[in-house]
Amino acid sequence: MWSNPDLLTTVLQVIYGILHDLSIAIYIGGAVAMEYVLGPAQNSIPPAQAQVMGQKTADRFIWLVWGSLGVIIITAILRLEALGHIAYGWPILQSTMGLGQDYGRTIWAMLVLWCVLVANGAIMTFYLRPRLSGRLKPGTTSAGVQAAQQAKMEAARWVERITRADIIIAIVIALFGASLRFNGIL
Amino acid sequence: MDTLLAWTHALAWAVYVGGSITMEWVLRYAQRTMPPSQVSIVCKRSGSRYRWVGLGALGVAGLTGALLVARIDTGTLLSRPGHPELSLFDPYGQTLATLTVLWALLVAASASMAFSLHPAQSRRSSPEMSQEEIQDERQRVGRAIARMDRVLKFELVASVVSIALGASLRAGGLL
Repeated sequence: MWSNPDLLTTVLQVIYGILHDLSIAIYIGGAVAMEYVLGPAQNSIPPAQAQVMGQKTADRFIWLVWGSLGVIIITAILRLEALGHIAYGWPILQSTMGLGQDYGRTIWAMLVLWCVLVANGAIMTFYLRPRLSGRLKPGTTSAGVQAAQQAKMEAARWVERITRADIIIAIVIALFGASLRFNGIL
Repeated sequence: MDTLLAWTHALAWAVYVGGSITMEWVLRYAQRTMPPSQVSIVCKRSGSRYRWVGLGALGVAGLTGALLVARIDTGTLLSRPGHPELSLFDPYGQTLATLTVLWALLVAASASMAFSLHPAQSRRSSPEMSQEEIQDERQRVGRAIARMDRVLKFELVASVVSIALGASLRAGGLL
């Protein structure tokens, strides 16, 4: 590597590549571990403690998710730029990024799927998680308690569905990413 | 075929590395707020599941990695920037060799956790044991937990370094 003519560009490409791959690994591996390792482990302790554990793990994991999604898109743009696929002139996207090319279609499909992951992340962070951690006010009737529990269970079911969908989407993105070395798959 | 192999290889590393980071960063953090009796239940359940996930992922990464290396076309490799070669005298070959050694160390670490350190953490106290024996048993479990801690830290660092080495191969290797 160090014998390459443009050392700085190569070093930057390697750094972007490492950060990009690491973020994808954290996203996919983290989601798999949360769903198929920590989830079942959580069910083996009493419900009240399981709820505390679920909240603590989800609070921490959300940081990993948003950090990974952010680093993935930033390093993706930087890598495309370093590879000469993005030019700051007109047209902004050179021919390889156009929809007429396999490479371009694959990149755009990955971007659309990344946006779906961001939307799902936002739904979980700002809509479903507050419902899961919501506390009952003093003086709530038994009907109110039951309704709140129902709402929590429904929110938990949606979190599970969205997490599983996210794992599948991230795996498809990884397939598209792996295909880019051979000029795309679409 | 190459796309499928590269995809499976990347996924296997992702599951292993992302899983170990999550276990360290998320589970350890949650454990601090739990009563010790429940920490041991959660550790036992998550550890027994994760050892198969981790070993399976490493197995797939090793198999697909070997197939990818076997399918490398030296002509195509030479045409890449920096003209990398599959030789121990070239940074590309050296990086690949280091990656293989790290993979073997990670398999050894995961296997030692799965088959030795994790079972050693189960306390085997019985009512007929003397106070000294109970004390010895506690110390043995404590030593197993401390060793597990060290192996987990090594696993975390080695897996992140492996990702770095693997990512650098596109640019001709890191060494």
